[in-house]
Amino acid sequence: MNRILKAGIKLSLFTLILSASPLLAQKNKPAKIKAAALQVEMIESDEIKLPAEFQVALYENLIRQLEKNGFSHVYRDGDRNAASVADLVVLHSTVRGFKAGSERARQVTTVSGATSITVHCQFTSPEGTSLLERDVNGKVRFFGGNLKATYDFAKKAAHVANENFSTPGRE
Amino acid sequence: MTSRTNTVLVGVASLFAGLVIPVANAQRASGPVKVVQLTGLVGVKDNAKGTLTVENGQLHFVHGKASSDVSASSIQDVVTAGDSQRAVGGTIGLMSMAAPYGGGRVLSLFRTKIDTLTVQYRDADGGLHGAIFSMPIGTAEVIKKDLVAQGAHTTASGEPTSAASSSSSPNKEQKQ
Repeated sequence: MNRILKAGIKLSLFTLILSASPLLAQKNKPAKIKAAALQVEMIESDEIKLPAEFQVALYENLIRQLEKNGFSHVYRDGDRNAASVADLVVLHSTVRGFKAGSERARQVTTVSGATSITVHCQFTSPEGTSLLERDVNGKVRFFGGNLKATYDFAKKAAHVANENFSTPGRE
Repeated sequence: MTSRTNTVLVGVASLFAGLVIPVANAQRASGPVKVVQLTGLVGVKDNAKGTLTVENGQLHFVHGKASSDVSASSIQDVVTAGDSQRAVGGTIGLMSMAAPYGGGRVLSLFRTKIDTLTVQYRDADGGLHGAIFSMPIGTAEVIKKDLVAQGAHTTASGEPTSAASSSSSPNKEQKQ
C-alpha cells in the first residue's frame, strides 16, 4: 500500500514538472522591446546590384506587412512626423544577397528558376543604437513573378518585428 | 539589269523600313498609356489596370472612376527596365497548368516583352513612396522623358537597364 502511495506521489511530481516546463520556457523568453512606432528606411543595396523595382517592392511590401502585423504607426523614410515620436525604432535594411530567377524556368521545369533575396535587417534607436539584427530571406520557388520574393521577405521581416517589439495596444 | 537594280533597291528599302517602323512605334507620342500598377500608389490596389499620362506637371493614373496623381517635382527617381510576362495568363493560364502531357508548360514558353517604370517620390510630410508600373514595350522611356522634362529627377540616365527581373536574364548569384 505504501509502495503504491509513493509511486503515485512520484508520478504526480513527474507530471507536474512536465506540465510546468513550457511555462518556465515562456518565462525565459526575452522580453519584447517597447516600440511606440517604427520608421522604415529605404532598402539599401550598395554592394549588390538590385533592380529598382525590387528595391521599391521590398520597401512597399515591408511597410504594408508591418501595418498588417499590428504596428499602428509605421513611418516612411524621411517622414518628418517621426522625429517627435518617443520610443521610435528605426529599421535599416541592406541587401546581402540576390539571385534573379526566371519565371519561365519555374513554370516549365518546376525545380529551377527560383528567385531569392537575403536582406540584413537592423532595428536601431533614433540615435543609432542597435536593438536587434537579423538576416531575413525571401524566395519564390513555384508560382508567381520574381517580385513575389519581396512579398515573402516582407512577411518574414514583419514576423521578426512582431516577435521582438511590442507596441501600445498590442502584446 | 534595271529590274535587278530595282529589286535590290526595293529590298534595301524594305529592310530599312523594317528597322525604322518598330522604333517609330515604340517611341510614339505620349498619350494615355495602358498600364498595370503593380504596387505602391496610395489608395490604389495592387495589379490595378488603368491609364497613365503625364500632363501639367503630374503623373496621372486613372483606374476606373478613381484617379491618383503624383507631382513630377516630388519624384526623386524614375527608372525604366525591361521584363516579360506570360502571353497566356490569368485564370486560363492557371488552368492550363493542369493540361496533360505538359501542355500548360509549353504555353509558359510564350511570353510577351513589357516595360516597367519605377518611380520614387516624397509625400507632403517628406515620406518616401515607391510605385511600379508595367506597360507595353517602348512606352516607359517616353513617360520617363516626359516626367524628367516636367521636373522629375532621375539617377539613371540613358538607355533602360536590362532588368534582372527579366526571365531571359542569366541566373547569377551575387553574394557578399
